[in-house]
This record gives sequence, C-alpha cells and structure tokens, in this order.
Amino acid sequence: MEKKVILIKDTGFKSDTTRDIQSLFLKAIRDIGAEESIQIVRAADLGIYNQGVVVKILPDNTVYTHINSDNIDQIVKAVHKGEVLENLLLKDRVEQTRIVLRNCGVIDPENIEEYFSKGGYTSIAKCLFDLTPAKVIKEMKKSGLRGRGGAGFPTWMKWSFAANSFGDEKYVICNADEGDPGAYMDRSVLEGDPHSVIEGMTIAGYAIGAKHGYFYIRAEYPLAIERVENALKQAYERGLLGKNILGSDFSFDLEIRLGAGAFVCGEETALIASIEGKRGTPNPRPPYPTDSGLWKKPSIINNVETLANISAIFQKGGDWFSSIGTEKSKGTKVFAVTGKVKNSGLVEIAMGTSIKDIVYNIGGGVLNEKQLVAVQTGGPSGGVIPKKHLDTPVSYEHLQELGSIMGSGGMIVMDEDDCMVDISKFYLKFCVDESCGKCAPCRIGGYQMLSILNKISEGEGELEDMDKLHRISQAMQKASLCALGQTAPNPVISTLRYFEDEYKQHIIDKKCRAGKCSKLIQYTINPDKCKRCRLCVTNCPVSAITGDREHGYTIDQEKCIRCGRCFEVCKFEAIARV
Amino acid sequence: MVKAKINGITVNVPEGTTILEAAEKVQIKIPTLCKHPDLPPTASCGICIVKLVGSNKMLRACCTPIEENMDIITHDPEIVEVRRTVIELILSKHPNECLTCGRNGNCELQKLAEEFGIRTSAFQQFLPDIPPDTSTGTIVLEPRKCISCGRCVTVCQQNQNVWALCFMDRGFGTRISPAGDGVSLSESPCVKCGQCSAHCPTGAIFENDDTAKVWKALQDKDTYCAVQIAPAVRVAIGEAFGYKPGANLTKKIYAALRRMGFNAVFDTNFGADVTIVEEASEFVQRFTETPEKLPLITSCCPSWVDFMEKFHPDMKENFSSCKSPHAIVGVLAKTFFAKKRRIDPANMFVLSVMPCTSKKYEITRSDEMYSSGYQDVDVSITTRELARMIKQAGININDISEEEPDHVLGEYSGAATIFGVTGGVMEAALRTAYDYITGGKLKNVEFENVRGIEGVKEGAIPVNGFTVKVAVAHGLSNVEYVLNKVKEAKRAGKELPYHFIEVMACPGGCIGGGGQPYGITDEIRKKRGEGLYDEDHNCKLRYSHENPFVKKLYEEFLDKPLSEQSHHLLHTTYVKRPEYQK
Amino acid sequence: MKKMTRDDLEKCAQNTCQSTQYIKVGMSTCGIAAGAQDVFDIFAKEVKTRDINVNVCKTGCIGMCHAEPVVEVAVEGLPAVMYGGVTKEVALRILEEHVCGKRFVNDHIFDLPVRR
Repeated sequence: MEKKVILIKDTGFKSDTTRDIQSLFLKAIRDIGAEESIQIVRAADLGIYNQGVVVKILPDNTVYTHINSDNIDQIVKAVHKGEVLENLLLKDRVEQTRIVLRNCGVIDPENIEEYFSKGGYTSIAKCLFDLTPAKVIKEMKKSGLRGRGGAGFPTWMKWSFAANSFGDEKYVICNADEGDPGAYMDRSVLEGDPHSVIEGMTIAGYAIGAKHGYFYIRAEYPLAIERVENALKQAYERGLLGKNILGSDFSFDLEIRLGAGAFVCGEETALIASIEGKRGTPNPRPPYPTDSGLWKKPSIINNVETLANISAIFQKGGDWFSSIGTEKSKGTKVFAVTGKVKNSGLVEIAMGTSIKDIVYNIGGGVLNEKQLVAVQTGGPSGGVIPKKHLDTPVSYEHLQELGSIMGSGGMIVMDEDDCMVDISKFYLKFCVDESCGKCAPCRIGGYQMLSILNKISEGEGELEDMDKLHRISQAMQKASLCALGQTAPNPVISTLRYFEDEYKQHIIDKKCRAGKCSKLIQYTINPDKCKRCRLCVTNCPVSAITGDREHGYTIDQEKCIRCGRCFEVCKFEAIARV
Repeated sequence: MVKAKINGITVNVPEGTTILEAAEKVQIKIPTLCKHPDLPPTASCGICIVKLVGSNKMLRACCTPIEENMDIITHDPEIVEVRRTVIELILSKHPNECLTCGRNGNCELQKLAEEFGIRTSAFQQFLPDIPPDTSTGTIVLEPRKCISCGRCVTVCQQNQNVWALCFMDRGFGTRISPAGDGVSLSESPCVKCGQCSAHCPTGAIFENDDTAKVWKALQDKDTYCAVQIAPAVRVAIGEAFGYKPGANLTKKIYAALRRMGFNAVFDTNFGADVTIVEEASEFVQRFTETPEKLPLITSCCPSWVDFMEKFHPDMKENFSSCKSPHAIVGVLAKTFFAKKRRIDPANMFVLSVMPCTSKKYEITRSDEMYSSGYQDVDVSITTRELARMIKQAGININDISEEEPDHVLGEYSGAATIFGVTGGVMEAALRTAYDYITGGKLKNVEFENVRGIEGVKEGAIPVNGFTVKVAVAHGLSNVEYVLNKVKEAKRAGKELPYHFIEVMACPGGCIGGGGQPYGITDEIRKKRGEGLYDEDHNCKLRYSHENPFVKKLYEEFLDKPLSEQSHHLLHTTYVKRPEYQK
Repeated sequence: MKKMTRDDLEKCAQNTCQSTQYIKVGMSTCGIAAGAQDVFDIFAKEVKTRDINVNVCKTGCIGMCHAEPVVEVAVEGLPAVMYGGVTKEVALRILEEHVCGKRFVNDHIFDLPVRR
C-alpha cells in the first residue's frame, strides 16, 4: 500500500503555527496507530495563500483549508479510511495550465527518448503522413494560436501568407532573441524542452514549404544554445531532421545563428538583417518577411513560445487548444513574474486568468506584506496596470485597453517602495540604450524624454515638461519605424495616465513618495529615538555621519549621497527619510 | 495600375508606386529629409508620415507602396504636429551654425525648419563632440551636422559599391564614419567620388573648400594665373544662378573667369581632344598589334582609377595610360603654352574647375602629375566652389557678355565636350579610332547605344570586317558586371566580351559628379547630358583629331601620338593600393 | 544510427522511459545559478558510493525560481514530491531520510506548480 502524506502549512500572515499543528497531527496519528502508513510533513509552500492552516494529502492531492485543532482527528481518520471531508475542501483553486511548459522540469532536455515518451515527434509524423500543408494551416486556424512574441498576430495567417507566397526557397526562423528585462520564458523552454521547438519549426516548414530554418538565439544564452545544439544532433541522427524526414518526401534542415543580444534584433526585419550578417537595424515593411524576408525569400519568424505550442496543438487538436482561453486570445501565456512578489518565477496560465490571481494566488502575494501599487506587463514596450484594474483578465485585448500590452511575458509587481517616475526612467533608459539609431523619432525622441525624466526626478522639472513628454511620445509612436520606437514611450504614457499626481509631486512639491529619487530625499537622525549605537556611523560609506555618544549624531547633508544605508541598518527607526 | 485616393483626389498609378511618388503626381508635396530620388528609401527621418482614413497608425510615404482603394491623408493638424515635433527633435541634435555653414541657403533641413516656421528650440540641445575628418583633402566629413538620414551610406555602399562609409555605434550615439574603428576617411577604401557630399541634405559632408588658395594666387601680381573648365561644369553651374539644368554657360564662364583676374582662360575640352588622340592611338595599337592587352579601359575618372587600384589591381595593364584631360591641359600649360608665351612655369598657377571632388586628389596622386617639372595643376575646385567665387566676385553671370577662350589650349571639338556625360569618352574615341583604322569617316557619328542613363550600356561597331565590342558603365556598382564578364572570358580562354570599356564613377558621368550643384536627379542628369550632346551636335568639329590646335600641338611640340614626348608628358602609371591604409 | 519511422515514434510514446525511482534536479540556467550543479554532483556521488538504486537525472526549469534549486524525488511506495531550496545539506537529508528512510523531509516541500 502506498503511504499517505499530509503536508501542512500555515498560510496566515502573522505567525507560523505549523510546528504546533504538526505535533497535534502526530499525536492524532499515533492515537490511531497509523505511524507507518501516514506521515505528517511541514511543507515550505503549498501554492495556497491566505487560507489559514492548509493541509494537502498526497497522493490524492486533496486540499483542506482553514484547519484548526478541532479538525485534526477528523482529518487523520478520513485519510486513514480514504474518505474526503467535503466541508473543509478547497474550492475554486487557481491553477496553472501548462502547454508550453508541459515538459519543462519534467523531462531530461538532453535525452530525446524522454521527449518521445511524451508523444514527441508524433505531431510532425501526423502532419507529414495524414495532413496536407493546407490542412496543417487549417488546424492552426482552428486552434486560434496568436504570436507570443508580443504583437499577437494570428500564427496561421502568417503561415498562410508565406505558404501562398512564391519562392524557390522559404525559411522558418525561430526568434529566440528574448530581450525584455525580467523575461526569460523562451530561455527556459529552449533549455527545458528544445525538441518541442524543433518539432514546431519542422511543422511550420512543412506548412509553408520551407526546406530550411534558423534558430536565432542570443549569445547570452549559452546553455540554451548547448541544449538546442544537442537536440538538433539527436534529431538529425534519428532522421527527424534532414533529408526525407521519417521516410517522407519532406526534407528540412535547421541551424543556429547567434545574435549579439541587441534588443532591436527581436524585431523581424532587424533580425533578418542580423542573420544576413548586416547591421541589425529594422527595414520598412512592406515588403513583409512572408513575401520577402531572409535573403529576399518568403520567411516566417515565430517566437519560441509560439513554436512550443504547435506540437501540442497537433497532439490534441486545434479544437482542444481553442477551448482554452478567451474568445479572442486562445491557449495559455507564460509570464515571468518578478519584482516584489513572493514566488517569483515562470507561470503559465490560461488566457483570461486575472492579474490578481496571478499575483496573489499563484505568486503568493506581495513580498513583506507591503501594498501593491501596480503591475507592469510587456516590459519596455508595455505599461503599468494600477491596483484598481487588477481584476482584468489577461488577454491581448484587455491589456491593450489599459494602455499596456501582453508583450513577451514579463510581469513585474511593484509596491509602495517603487516610484513611478523612476520606473519610467528605467524602461525608457533601456530603450534609449537599445535604440538602433536608425530613425530620428526614436533616436532623438527617446533621449530627449529621458533627459526630461531625469530633470523631473532631480527636482528640476517644470509642469510644461509633462506636455513635452506627451508631445515627444506622440511623435515617437506615430513616426518611429519599428515597434521598439513606437512602443518605447508606453511606460511613460501609462504612468502619466495612472500616476499623474506622482509626477506632479516630483515637479511641484519636489518630493518622491517612494524615496527612490535620491535628489528629492533627505535622511535625518531623530535624537529622541537614537540609542547612540553608532551602527549608522560605521555603515555610512562616505562618513557623512558625525558626532559622539554624548551629544548624539547628525548627518552632513552636503556629504550624504542618499544611499539609504543608515536607514536600512538602524534598529530603532531613528533615521527619518523625508 | 492601382487606383487610390490621396486627400480625396483620385490617383491612378502603376503598381509599386510609393505614396510619396503618387502624391507628387497630384501636386501634393509630402516633406521628407531622408528620401532622395536617386536612392532606395532609408525610411529614417520619419517626416513623410501619412494616415489612412479610419486608421490610427501613420505610414511612411517614402517606402509604402500605394495599394488599391487606399484612402490617404497627407496633411492634417495631427500629422503636421508630429512632423513638427520630429523636425524639432532633429534640430535639437544639430548645431545652430547656419550662418557659417557651407549649406546655408540650400540646406534641406534649414528649408524644412523655415517651412514649418520653427522659431524656438523646444528641446534642450545635445551636440555630439566629434571633430571633422579632413584627411582626404577632397571631402570633409562633419558628423556633428549629420542627421543620420543614411543617404551617404546608401550611396557609398549600394550605388558606388565602395563601402567606405558606414554607421557606427547606435542609438543616440549613432554617427556616420569611415568603416572601421579609428580609421580616417583617407585610410578607408574611399575613392573620393563625392557622391556622399552631393546627396547629403545638410552640411555634414562637403567638398574641401580650396577657394582661398585661388583668391590668394589671383591677388599675387607675380603669378600668372591660368584656368580651365571641365565639360560637365558648363551645363550645370547655371543651376546655382537660376538657369535650368543643361543651360550651356561656357562663354559666360570664360568671361567671368577673366573678370576674376585669370590671365589665361583654357578649356579642359582641349585636353579631352588630346586624350582622345592618345587613347584612340593606344586602342588602335592594342587592337592591331597586341590584342592580348585588350580590353582597353578608360582612365579619365580618378575615382575609377582609385577604385581599380584598390579593388581590381589585376586590371591595371588594361587601363589606358593616358592622363585625364585636365591633367593634360595642366602639363601643356606649364610646358607648351609657357614656352610659347615665354612665361616662367615656376610663376604659373593652373586652376582646374571640375564637377568632381576626386580631381582634388588626382592632381597629386603620382609623380607623373609633376611632369612639367612643377605640380601640373595647382588647385582643383568644384563647380559649387566656382559658383560661390563668381558670387563673391560680384559678377552678374546672367547679364555678362560671352567671351572666347584663350588659345592655344582653348579650342575643342564636339567629341571633347561629350566627355562630360556617360558614354561620351567611348563615343569620341570610336570616332577617331574608326578613322585611324579604316582611314574613312563614320556615316553616323552619334552612337545612340552608348548614350542614356542605363547603368551598363553595350554596343558593337563593325570596323574593317571586324566587330569592335564596347561597354560603358557608370556608377561604380555597375562595374562588377562588366569586369566579371571580362575576367570570366579570360579565365575560360574565350573570346573577349568587350574590346573597349568606359567607366565613370558617378552615375551619369561627370555631369552627375560629386562636385556639381546640389539636388541631382535622373531628370537633371538627362538635362545636363542633353546640354552637352546639343553642343556636340552643333559643333562643326566632330572629331578630336581634326581639332586644328591639336594638330598644331603635335606638329610643333609632341611629334605624334604616343611619341616619347607625349609619353613623358601625357601618360601615367598605376599601382596596386591597399583598400585600408591602416 | 537507424532512422526512425512513425511506428517507432508511436512505440516510444507508449514507453515511460523514466525509472520509478528517481531524483530529478532542475538544471536550467536559473537552477544552476542557484547551485543546482553542486546538488546534482552530490546526489550522483552519494548514490554511487552508497549504492542506492535511484536514478539521478537532470531536467529543465519548472518555473519555481523562488525555490531554486529544486529537486523532484520519487521512490517506490511514496508519492513523488518536489523539494525546494535544496542545499548540499538538504540533499544529504533527502537521501538519508526520504530515499533510504522513506520519511519525507520537513520544511522543504513545495507544491508542484501543476497537477500531473
């Protein structure tokens, strides 16, 4: 008989009673003499939050919440007898839906046999032997899959443009130039399940009539490159790539091209230029890559996450895929949830899940029980979603309505210690650094906006600067050549939209609520609270704190660099930040 | 054909027409800073944006092909506002030095700023601190004034296939630069053709101004100042004075130069006639005696010579060793003419007025450029520089009466004047070579096959039962096609595809030279070319070797074509040069 | 190597090639950065020296960055669980208590992000 395990965890905020409850459980188990068949274990995390004491029973996966000492005997007996206590059961649990990450953390990415055991490469077999290329595209249409790189263009449409485009050669390109700060789902997929992407590319190749494909991977992903190289080798050895795949008429070759990590090379036309060995700058569209792409041949460029969905679609069918998600956004989306969240990491949810559920139920809530202020999505091309809109379901349309975008899947949780001017500066600085410099609106506009934001954060801002920010934003959005420039002002526009007061506070009151803008804050020592421990004195990197035990200590504002070290180390809250 | 609407006006244009071009057809001008009619769109400035009715997005008119039923708005308050902001942004990274800038008055950015009525600097100025690159002595690169439109890079890489210029760094720090870190223009593969300067919308690339040297020589009483004007100058300089392109101002320029103080006014066309006599003789010699040295390739274009020395040094035996016309006039002025007039060549100053930036380089490119015992041509200035000098001298070119050139280096044939347009050297040489070989005259002296603005032109002329095959290429990117054909045939031991090849580095030939007035388009090239062909057509003399002064030159001074004396004075040599001199 | 056919693939899909007793270490960039390589090495070494019948293998990122390094452990008679924050010391405890002693280790179990 398999052993039963009771995992327990106190999910309350204030105190942790797990150990006490554990002893009560131990006693109850001993009372019925089930020490050998039931074990009670303290868990580190059960993925359930704010539900009091929670137990999870393995292997049944039954979860009971809000347990108190009265329930314990009852639970132990039920476990022992194999019964379920309906009244304690957790209902409506928010769970992840894993399609893209289905094999990540499950199989050994370096062993193709394990991918086979998950039905790997049966999808390409099905396509090659049971479906015509047109039917493959039809199935993709049925699935409703949209590009996961950011813009959300229907994948089947891209494929069908390329399929209908005339060319003696066509190309499939996997865009693995993931560059959004804080986003790393593509890396994880390539490292955790490289064969699924290879299979997706091969199916795409079959659908559009391409014989050749490229992985465009940034050189900063050495492990991903190594695992893809290894996977390609294994697939070639077994006839899953190369000439006459699985004995069919279809031949497909794949190779890797390394990118130097320029953010703009994630843009299709710049990516193509980079593969061709040219300066990675965008080119005007049309012509679209599906008509004239790599080496002027019809080409499709799909993101890693998009491609990882494909073999799953053909294993389970387009209808199955389209049953997940919202009306216009089908399937799942992987987010890299980071920032002030307890459980940072990769989360794959069905489209339509609310941001709140992602942050609080999957992410475990805000770190240190602070107040959530906003959630940023879409990285440097996205925007902030303030607390009041947290119930918004995740979909391409909903996020756009709020002035943000789905983007490639970065999701950064911000709390009361985050300054919105500072956040805008951070993202804009990223785009200014990463602008290729080709077109004037992006090249100069971004730089000008950043200099205005710097001025504001240093207390030198004027009210008319906000108009200037709007004006330059408009010019960048309308007149930039590629999406990098068109979307670079988004973080600024969206913070201006939702946190205008915070900007005004910087400009008029010369104050930064979060204490992030160092020119606008001052640290002082409150002599009433100061215990003269000298901890701040020894920690100050610039020796700005002087005094003696008798007379107390003061901070020399001329010398102080506002690093906040004294504020952090003081054990008596004697340092004030104003 | 595609039917669409622009500002409510219906347009019918061929498929592939851009919105910008279609708008021009219905008299709507969409402003742009980066699009040049000669070049594919770089889509970099972001000023030509337009809207589609019902759409929020804006499109770039320069590179978006018009589609069936498009309903386009080119001007509305929002579009104008965005354009204005972009112009202001560009101005925030451009020095306010209009008054002291070489492009003052004909700068495209200045013009746009004026049209948009920009009166204040909305944004803080951030100017890069990059020193000018004057290393070539021909073209000056001033990256501070660059607006990164990319025209120079496109023309250098795509049209000229030289790849001397590129963008360096990225983002706000993007700058034009010689290709290679820390490489100056003179150390780069640059062939000094100056097409970059002719296409720059601002003052970021311009000819090295040598006018001060000319004024200084003119002021010195002890210096005997001689000047010559190239064929292409006469039909282009008028544009700087309000004339239509192609207007032939030869005799007004002679008069203006005399008023400026030149003691002798010559014409490079005389030198062109001499070049033809020598080059045609060279061709006849190779054709009849040493066919292994064919094809003969023309060498009057110094950028082409520089290109060959850098990229195709294996072809140097095929180059005509004859100097270019202005170098011939230079050396003859300080020898033949000086002797006749009893002037000490040490006190002579010879100025060449050229459509070309590269001639500034050519006058010192090898020892043979000093064969008179002195520097044969002291200074070479461009058409643009001469136009400024005429204005500085207060000369009203419109009303000045026409004058004749000075002999013995002034008379010329129609064959010489067409040197200034692509195919002209070939045509002129064939006229003379035909006569030399057959002893008879051509029925029709005008070779339509080698005329026109097509990149590569081919022709065949029956000569004494043998077919002479010729090719004409202009714009250096068209050279590879011709040379590859020759190289392939030689490798395979097959019959040569061409016996005689003319190459001019600049599209259109010298009329489209890098030193010509700004605003070059194919339309203007055609007009300037027509100006020269008209002059040829109306000339009594159509053959270089029939120029009486050329005959006189040989009788009195050089003996005969390819003589020892002419070899000494009129010919040069070529060497292999590294692409990068660093 | 022999080229595969569709039948071969379908046969492979029936097989569960993973053994019933395994220790799977999350070894993507995130895991390795958090120390997964050391954890993998210690498992591999100890399993060998102690001659324990358990397969030590690597896998990709399961997405639980906050809990890295993570290790999934399955031994016969016990449900498979995921341990997080696995240091060398915790790894040894897992081997001794869980794999050999068939008793789960306190305070390191994390819920799997998705039900399998």
